[in-house]
Amino acid sequence: MGWSASVGVKQVPKREVRYVSRKILVIDYESCTGCHLCELACSIKHEGVFNPYLSRISVLTKPEIQTSTPVYCLQCNDAPCARACPVNAITFNDRTGAWEIDYGRCIGCRECAYACPFGAIKLNVTAEPIKCDLCGGDPECVKVCPHNALIFGSEDEVIRELQKRKSVGVVYSLYEKGSQSLPGNRVREAEEAVKTLYGIWAKRKDLNI
Amino acid sequence: MYGWGGNVIYVDLSREKVSIKPLDPSEAKMFLGGRGLNSYRLFKMVKPGIDPLSPDNVLVIGNGVLAGTPVGQTSRTHISTLSPLSGILGDGNAGGEFSATLKFAGYDQIVITGRASKPTYIWIEDDHVELRDATSLWGLKMGELVDALRDLHGDDISVAGIGPAGEHFVRFATTMIDKYHSGARGSGAVWGSKNLKAIAVRGTKGVEVANPEKFYELAKEDLDYFKKNDFVKKIYRVIGTHYGLLQWYPGWKYFEKYLGPEDLPPGLRPQDFARFEVGRTQCYSCPIACKDVYHLPRWNETGTSSEFEALYALGANNAVTDTEAVLKMEHMADEYGMDVITLGDTLAMAKKLYEKGIINDTDTGGIPMKWGDAETQIKLIEMIAYREGFGNKLAEGYRNFAKLIGPEALEYSYDVKGLSRGWYHVDFFNGIFTLAHATSTRGADHLRGRSWAYWENDLNMDANVVKAMLDAGLPDYRKDPVGSLIWSERACTLADSLGRCKGSINTWPQAVPLVWKYPIFKGLAMLLTAATGVEYTEESLIEVADRIYLIEMAFNYRQGIKKKHFAVPFPPEIKNTPKIKEEMKRHWEMVDEYLERRGCDVETTAPKRETLKKLGVEWVADEIEGKEFPEWDGPPLWELNKYPSGR
Repeated sequence: MGWSASVGVKQVPKREVRYVSRKILVIDYESCTGCHLCELACSIKHEGVFNPYLSRISVLTKPEIQTSTPVYCLQCNDAPCARACPVNAITFNDRTGAWEIDYGRCIGCRECAYACPFGAIKLNVTAEPIKCDLCGGDPECVKVCPHNALIFGSEDEVIRELQKRKSVGVVYSLYEKGSQSLPGNRVREAEEAVKTLYGIWAKRKDLNI
Repeated sequence: MYGWGGNVIYVDLSREKVSIKPLDPSEAKMFLGGRGLNSYRLFKMVKPGIDPLSPDNVLVIGNGVLAGTPVGQTSRTHISTLSPLSGILGDGNAGGEFSATLKFAGYDQIVITGRASKPTYIWIEDDHVELRDATSLWGLKMGELVDALRDLHGDDISVAGIGPAGEHFVRFATTMIDKYHSGARGSGAVWGSKNLKAIAVRGTKGVEVANPEKFYELAKEDLDYFKKNDFVKKIYRVIGTHYGLLQWYPGWKYFEKYLGPEDLPPGLRPQDFARFEVGRTQCYSCPIACKDVYHLPRWNETGTSSEFEALYALGANNAVTDTEAVLKMEHMADEYGMDVITLGDTLAMAKKLYEKGIINDTDTGGIPMKWGDAETQIKLIEMIAYREGFGNKLAEGYRNFAKLIGPEALEYSYDVKGLSRGWYHVDFFNGIFTLAHATSTRGADHLRGRSWAYWENDLNMDANVVKAMLDAGLPDYRKDPVGSLIWSERACTLADSLGRCKGSINTWPQAVPLVWKYPIFKGLAMLLTAATGVEYTEESLIEVADRIYLIEMAFNYRQGIKKKHFAVPFPPEIKNTPKIKEEMKRHWEMVDEYLERRGCDVETTAPKRETLKKLGVEWVADEIEGKEFPEWDGPPLWELNKYPSGR
């Protein structure tokens, strides 16, 4: 009996090692500008072509108003797709931390796609379900994201990173700037950019080309 | 075909016929795509002496050879036609998602001829191409049009189309892509004259490349360069092209003076525009994201991508310092589908003429043309889009408007081959500014080579790249301005043919992929070889660029461009000063040297047969040699009451 139980605080189960060491792919939605590079990277890695319709990650965009929402598999702890699969073709890979489809067993019924609460399972040209497998533990989309909107790492690292980025919107310049920004900060950022530009010009005078 | 989409769509609107033909591999190899393939198609299909607004004109829309791949910034759709604004080659490119989507559907080019009997739009879904009735879409502004088509076909489509300005044959109406990306030189009026409102595409086939591993590796390297670059991170993503307000000397009150970084009035500084910014956005596969999203509380409207050109032309050049109003005008130009540079410069010229007493209240229909009067200017922009009242005259476009007023007004038209020179500086960079305006194949222009001929912008990004390029044999503009310009024109021609963006940072690394690692075109050759499977080398790419450029020069020669049209005008107040005379003397010497080095006839400017033969396009010489073409004097103008007007 620990101290918490004696004062009536809810007992939380201890974190299992699996979740501490497991790496997850998360997204900082505010940083995504909707360039679709992750889709192209995903499809070349998995299918050998550049085709957003065969990508495991989809970015829903309305570029003109900057709403970009990447949709991808969040690798749920208790995955509805695995539960819904009638032939148990979806299993958790302990090594990579991803739910993977065993295409040898898959019967192509699409139940997993219907069950997914995020719409993260797509169907390819032959109507087979396709989903993110974290590229076997080294996701390609993370490497091309120009604004670092996709973050891959252990749960602790990633949550810490998110905390820093989100706080930037509130406490400007406490950490290096993410992309989230309040309207008042934009003016300040613009002023800083102008200052940087003057700095570049000054340095340019010393160049001997 | 690897790399390319592999098919070309031919649409004959008069006969309501659509045919899909495979892309000829030798054409593709010789002209790449985008601007190159478009210019070639135009030269073959447009007959000299036709009216740009007649059904005889041809509208060609093409994506670059690298569209739809993760090589960054390759999402420009190139739109080429015989320009109703200038009467010569008119081409421009626009960003957005159209070119990638068209490539995913398996096409490289859409060629449109004839005139539809009723408003029409083209619906493309992979192999299915269909002409559809657009009666209910006619009259919609760009935002409404794209939303309406998304409702019909789903939100994963991309749309190219025109707003009311194109429908009313405004001579500087643009082709708009996905609401707010615009491609200039008056192609929008050609859409209108063809009764064509929009093209909507969905593509699900994707792009295959010849050597995926190698190609992807090179593409990632190029992306990383921009991802890590400090200038991109700290300036470009924050204020976008607004930094040009400080660096590029915007004109004030119709080029009365040029504003240095310290002279910018409050209201026109980058930090003033940041007040209205609510987000940033970009085109397909771009790592930079230079476009701002702004919200205007006064009108409760949201728009995107206020570029430097819009802010200088509609703001500084008209002496408007009301930040929100300048953004509103930019937004209106996008919604109606008009080119901001020509729009702003035409309005500024009208104000200058009014000030000089060359036009008066009778001409303007009682509208006072005062500097800095934002409210009237907003009203005028609407009148231009619908060709109402004085707007009908202004809608004829920069030089054509002056021509309409008379020879006295023409003195104030600072144009080369019909296009406004935009902001310029008299004595910048060894005469490259003036020379580049003269040699551009679509009229005075800052994106045909000018900005690449000197290193002002490159030094912002990376001084090491400049050193590496000089070592690799790029001519130094201080010693050899003509050579420097020819090289930069090559870079721009290739960039346009790849679909690569040049506009945002105006630097070599942006226009030419991998130039920072393998100068000058070696990296690009590696990339293209990996993408297409066709062996390209630096030398063969130079040939491609020169081939495209000379075909364009031949096209303009056929439209009646003579050597005297390589002249560059200056304001009447300074044109006879010794300084400008000296400048002009040097200018003509450089024009001669330029034509000589390009392999053109120094007297007539026509490309020589031997040059064309060397580039493998001797048939072009058959079209122009020994023929007389009537001298160019702008496009044929219609009587003002013949245009569609009103709402």
